[in-house]
Amino acid sequence: MSGILRRNASIAVGAAVLGLAAVGAAAPEARAQTLTMAVGAPVTSLDPHYHQLSPNNAVADMIFDRLINTDNLSRMVPGLAVEWRPVGPTVWEFRLRPGVRFHNGNPFTAEDVAFTIQRVPNVPNSPSSFAAYVRPIQGVEIVDPLTIRLRTASPAPLLPQDLTNVRILDRETHENAATEDFNAGRAAIGTGPWRVVQHRSGDRIEFERNDGYWGDRPAFQRVNYRMITNDAARTAALLAGDVEFIDQVPTSDLARLRGDQRVTLSEITGLRLIFLGLDHLRAPNEDSPFVTGNDGRPLGRNPLRDVRVRRALSIAIDRQAIVERVMEGAATPAGQFLPPGVFSHVPELGPPRYDPQEARRLLAEAGYPDGFRLTLHSPNDRYINDSRIAQAIGQMWTRIGVRTAVEAQTWTTFIGRAGRQEFSAHLIGWGSNPEGSHPLRNIIHTANRERGFGASNRGRYSNPEVDALIEQALVELDDEKRERLLQEAKRKAFEDVAIIPLHIQTNIWAMRRNLAHTPRNDELTRAQDVRPASVPAAR
Amino acid sequence: MSDLALDRAAAVPSVAQERVETPFRRFVAEFAESKLALLGLGVFVVIALTAIFAPWLAPQNPYDLGQLDIMDGRMEPGTVGGAGFTFWLGTDDQGRDMLSGIMYGLRISLSVGAGSALIACFIGASLGLLAAYAGGRTDSLIMRLVDLQLSFPAILAALMILAFLGKGILNVVIALVLVEWAYYARTVRGTALVERRREYIEAAHCLALPTRRILFRHLLPNCMPPLIVVATMQVARAIALEATLSFLGLGVPITEPSLGLLIANGYEYMLSGKYWISFYPGIALLITIVSINLVGDQLRDVLNPRLRK
Repeated sequence: MSGILRRNASIAVGAAVLGLAAVGAAAPEARAQTLTMAVGAPVTSLDPHYHQLSPNNAVADMIFDRLINTDNLSRMVPGLAVEWRPVGPTVWEFRLRPGVRFHNGNPFTAEDVAFTIQRVPNVPNSPSSFAAYVRPIQGVEIVDPLTIRLRTASPAPLLPQDLTNVRILDRETHENAATEDFNAGRAAIGTGPWRVVQHRSGDRIEFERNDGYWGDRPAFQRVNYRMITNDAARTAALLAGDVEFIDQVPTSDLARLRGDQRVTLSEITGLRLIFLGLDHLRAPNEDSPFVTGNDGRPLGRNPLRDVRVRRALSIAIDRQAIVERVMEGAATPAGQFLPPGVFSHVPELGPPRYDPQEARRLLAEAGYPDGFRLTLHSPNDRYINDSRIAQAIGQMWTRIGVRTAVEAQTWTTFIGRAGRQEFSAHLIGWGSNPEGSHPLRNIIHTANRERGFGASNRGRYSNPEVDALIEQALVELDDEKRERLLQEAKRKAFEDVAIIPLHIQTNIWAMRRNLAHTPRNDELTRAQDVRPASVPAAR
Repeated sequence: MSDLALDRAAAVPSVAQERVETPFRRFVAEFAESKLALLGLGVFVVIALTAIFAPWLAPQNPYDLGQLDIMDGRMEPGTVGGAGFTFWLGTDDQGRDMLSGIMYGLRISLSVGAGSALIACFIGASLGLLAAYAGGRTDSLIMRLVDLQLSFPAILAALMILAFLGKGILNVVIALVLVEWAYYARTVRGTALVERRREYIEAAHCLALPTRRILFRHLLPNCMPPLIVVATMQVARAIALEATLSFLGLGVPITEPSLGLLIANGYEYMLSGKYWISFYPGIALLITIVSINLVGDQLRDVLNPRLRK
C-alpha cells in the first residue's frame, strides 16, 4: 500500500513538474501582454496636426495612419493608400486601402482624406504647423470612396513624401474636435495599431491593441507609454525592471549598459542634426537681445549678421571633441543636414574644420578683436546631452574671446521663447525626412506662414537667392535636376553660415534582453516596433 | 590689559569675581562646555574662510568657461589635467575641477543661506515685534499671514515662487526670504508678548519714549536669545533649500553651479561609477549643515533659561 502511495506521489510530483514546465512556457506569453516603455521627451499633444515634434509624431503613429507610411529607414511604404501615381503634370491619384475602420468603427474613405487635408492648416495656436505638407494641394477630387485625386498649382514631385507627415483623421469624429479633445483622449481615435485608453499629459499614455488593425498585429496587448525626462531615472528604471524599454539612452550610461547581461541596445545613425540657430532677425545696426559688449553695455549692432562672425563662431567649435567627450561617440560631426548617402547630400560640405586662430582673425577682421558677450540658450531635456553641448560650446567660444553665458531651460519654455525670436543664439535639433528639401524649406527658407515656408526658421535667416533655389527645386520633377538645385541651395546656405551645424545623433534604445526592436532612423519610439526577442521581425 | 585685570583681581578679589562673570563670558563658558559644538564652530569657521577666500585658494575659476576644457571632463580624483594642476577631487563632465567647484559652490551656498536668513530675520522680527506690540487687528493680520505661510511646505512654496519669478540667484534669495520670514515673526512675537508686560517696558511708556525706540531698543534686545537660535537653524535650512532648488534645476545658472547643482550634474554619472562628481559636493554640503546645526543646538541649550542647569 505504501508502494502504491509512493508511486502515486511520484506521479503527482511528475505532474506538478510538467505543470510547472507548462507555466514556465506560458510565462513569456503572459509577460508579453503588457509593454512598459519610457521615453525621454514629453509628448505635448495627441492632436496629430498640432505640433511637428518627434515625440508627438511617434505617438501619432501609434494611434493614426498616414496615406503613405515610412519604414525604419524612412523609405515610403503603403499606408492607408495602397498605390499612388501622377495622372497628369499637376494631379496625383491615390488608391485607398479598402476595409479599414477607425477605432470607433467608422469606415475609412476618401472623404476622410479630404477632411484631413482641409484641417491640417487650420489648427489654432499650432506652435509648429504641418500646413507646409498640404500647401501644394489646390483641389481635392473624390473619384469614388476609395480613390482620391489631389490637384496642385504646379508640378509637386514631393507630394507623396510630404504626405508621409500627415496623419489621417475621420471626418465624422473630428469635424468639430479641438486639440483639447485629442489631449483628453475623447478624439484620439484613428486607424492605427493602438487605441488610447488614458492620457495623463506629460506623464503617461496607456494604449490597448487595436485588434481590427489592417496591418501587422502588434505583439503586445497593452502598452504603458511613460515619459521620464530625467536620463538617470530612465536608465535606472530600465535596470530595476520598472520599465522594459527606453529611448534616448543617456550617453553617460552607454558603457555600463553595453556590459550589462540583462539589457540589449539597438542603434542606428539618425537623421537629426543638432545645430545652433543665430539671430538674423535684428538688423546689422540693431541690438540682438543677448549680445553685449565686453563691458556689458549694448553694442548698437548685431554682430551675428556679419558672416565673418558667424564663420568664426562655427570654426571655433571642436566638433570632434564634442562627439568624443560629450556624446561618448554616439554622434557624427556634421557640416550639413543629412549624412552621406542621402539624396542631395553635398560631398564637399564636411564638418567645418576646427581652427581657433582663424576664428580670432575673422572676429578681428569683422571689428571685434576683443570679442563680445553672448548668451547661448539651450533646452535641457530635449536632445541628447543638450545642455552639456551648450556648455562645451560656451567654453570654445569663450576661448576665442566671445564670452559666453549658457542658459538652459526646459523644452516647453525654451521652444516658446525660441519661436518668438527671443534669443541671440540657441541650440536646437531637426529630424529630417531623408529628402534634402525638408530641412531647407523649414529652417533655411525665409519664414512665411501663409506659404508654409520657414516654419522652424527660428533665427529668421533670409536669403532670396537660397529661397529661389529651394522654390525651384520644389517644382522640379526631374530627380537629377532637383538634387543639383538642392545641393546648390545647401552650398549657399552653409557658406553663408545660415545655421551652425554640430553633429548628427546616433539613435539608441535600450531594452530588457527578452525584447527586440527595429531601430528607426527618424528616431520615433513606437510600441509596434518592439516585440519579444523570440518573435522574428515582421519584415 | 590682562595684567591690569590680574592686578585688580589680586587687589579686590570680590569685585574681580563680578567683573569676570559678565553675561557674555558666562555665555562663552557655557557654550564651550560642549566639545562637539566647539568642533562644529571650528569646522564652520574653516568652511566660511574657504568660501570667502575661494578665488585665492581654488586652483581654477570654475565659473569661467574659458578655464574649463571638456577634454579634462570626468577625470578621476588625483588626475593631472591639461592645465597642469592636479584635480584632487576629480572633475565633472565639463572638466570643472571639483575642489574649486566645491569652494565656489560653498560661496554661493553660504551667501545665499546667510543672506536670505538675515533679510528674513529682519523682516520677520520687525513684523513679529509689531504684532506683539500693536496687538488687536494688526496682530491678527500678521499672524494669519504667518499661519498661511507655515501651512505650505517650504520647498513647495519656494518652487511655486521660483516658477513664477524664474531662475537666478537673486530670485532664490527672494524665494527663501518669502518662505522663511514667518518663523522669525512667530518666534519674536511669542517672546515679545511676554516681555511687553514687564516693568521696564511700562517704565519706558511712562517716560513717553517713542514707539520705535521702545520696540527696537528695549523690546528687541530682550527677544534676541530665541531669535539667534532660530536664525542659526534657519541658515542651515536655507542652505539645504537652496541646494534642493538647484538640484531640481530651478536655482543657479548651469555655468555657475552651487553645491546642489554640482550634485545634480554628477547624479547622472552615478550609475556608471563616476561617484566623485556627486559625492564630494554632497559631503561638503553635509558637513556645512551639520556644523551649523551643532552650533545652533548648543546655542539653544545655552540661551534657553529653562534648559539652564
